[in-house]
Amino acid sequence: MHDIEHMPGQLAAFLTERDGRRSATVVGYEPMVGGYSRLMAKADVEWSDGQHDTFVLRGDPPSGKAMIETSRDAEYALLRALDSTSLAMPAVRHYDATGDQLGTKCIVLDFVRGSSLQALLHATNDAEQRCHASDLVDTLACIHSIDIDAVAGTLAMPSSWDAYLGGLIDRFRQADTAHVESVPFLRYVASWLDAHRPPPLPLRLVHSDFQPANIMVTPDGEHLMIDWELAHIGDPREDLGYYNVYSSALGPNLFMSDPEAFLARYRQRTGFSEDAVNMATMGYFSSLAAITVYAQILTGAGAMATGHNCGLMTTYTMNALTIGHSNFLQGCAARADEVTV
Amino acid sequence: MLSRPTTDQILADCRSELLNAIDAAISDPAAKIAIQMMENVLRNCAMRAAHEIAWMREETNDMIAFAERVDGSAATSAALTAALRRHAAERSDSLHLDDVSSTYGLAGECLSTALEAALAAGDDELCAAGRALLEQRLGHELEIMGEWTMVGRG
Repeated sequence: MHDIEHMPGQLAAFLTERDGRRSATVVGYEPMVGGYSRLMAKADVEWSDGQHDTFVLRGDPPSGKAMIETSRDAEYALLRALDSTSLAMPAVRHYDATGDQLGTKCIVLDFVRGSSLQALLHATNDAEQRCHASDLVDTLACIHSIDIDAVAGTLAMPSSWDAYLGGLIDRFRQADTAHVESVPFLRYVASWLDAHRPPPLPLRLVHSDFQPANIMVTPDGEHLMIDWELAHIGDPREDLGYYNVYSSALGPNLFMSDPEAFLARYRQRTGFSEDAVNMATMGYFSSLAAITVYAQILTGAGAMATGHNCGLMTTYTMNALTIGHSNFLQGCAARADEVTV
Repeated sequence: MLSRPTTDQILADCRSELLNAIDAAISDPAAKIAIQMMENVLRNCAMRAAHEIAWMREETNDMIAFAERVDGSAATSAALTAALRRHAAERSDSLHLDDVSSTYGLAGECLSTALEAALAAGDDELCAAGRALLEQRLGHELEIMGEWTMVGRG
């Protein structure tokens, strides 16, 4: 994927070998813009039997150029496991697990005709956004209703909610320890979150980058969730908090337009209680949930400082760390009636 | 050395060239997104070049004053005392950026440790004072960030 000029031929050979019966010709190949962490490309394929397919390739950037480091092996295994659930996603077709054929470890998925929810939201009015808010909540609830046994073999299973939350809070401290300089926000936030733990919820599948840009909407309105590289078993409120944080940086924020209705629908769809899902816990998880992505970006910045990473994406996304600091502080002060980001 | 135009002025000029001359000549969507990102990074760098040494020195003084205040109270901890000792032993008055950054990092560790001690002791007044330093730090970060959105997402 790093050598665009040769990719049509490489991809055609790869698809032909994997298919086993037909030969493929790649008649169109173009990098896709908008993905921050992985390389993405769209390929139009003609098969020897006259069929056509359009695929999306999702691969690793060159070594030392990644904004964040995640495992394609783990992501592919999870996608395969999710195939057997009720969750709607683009179909996974192939995986180059070694990178020998496509130049980098690369997952091949069906292309989704439609657009991202983020793109739709940019072009809709308030009434339409209310409909999208309901659909968004339903998509989130669907993820959080999946039986975690279906993905247990592919993701680490925490021993308990308490242990999990303690570990998540500790990631603030670990991020500070691992970084090249002290970041005083992190241990302050960890201490505050530890002292204000919310009521527990059952552990569930957490997408961990739940944002409208990662929801593809088909022409008939179905939501297909993409970009699972940070998924894990955890507290489902992490996705709620992360959505709130993300959508305040790149709006519109469908939660803030009617917070109580948003949470009420989520509770109704998941069966979670109001003790556990409310404005106060939303504030708490708005602070807590960003640590997964935050720590990855901070690691990239630290690697750049020590000469082990480079690239525009690393420097550009450092501003997201500032947004994280702002969220951390606000989340640590929030009362039930003042959830903001 | 020639100090004027200042570094931030030079970077602002590069940014202007990027936006007005280079961007207009490019049609590739990925390259256009990269240009928007570079514009943002150049803006960040210009702001940092203009202020970062002063801001780090000011914050360092404030962080150490707060840490010493906590260390002199019942809330103090062995970790805080150790962090302050390390800062005293390794700090530098040099204004070279790398030295200022190193001293700033030592002071940041003092602030982290002092805040942990204040929170553990339940001292609301010290917690509020320490939190105000985080707000000050965030204020500088926000000035560096300026207007920022995730270019190309959607």
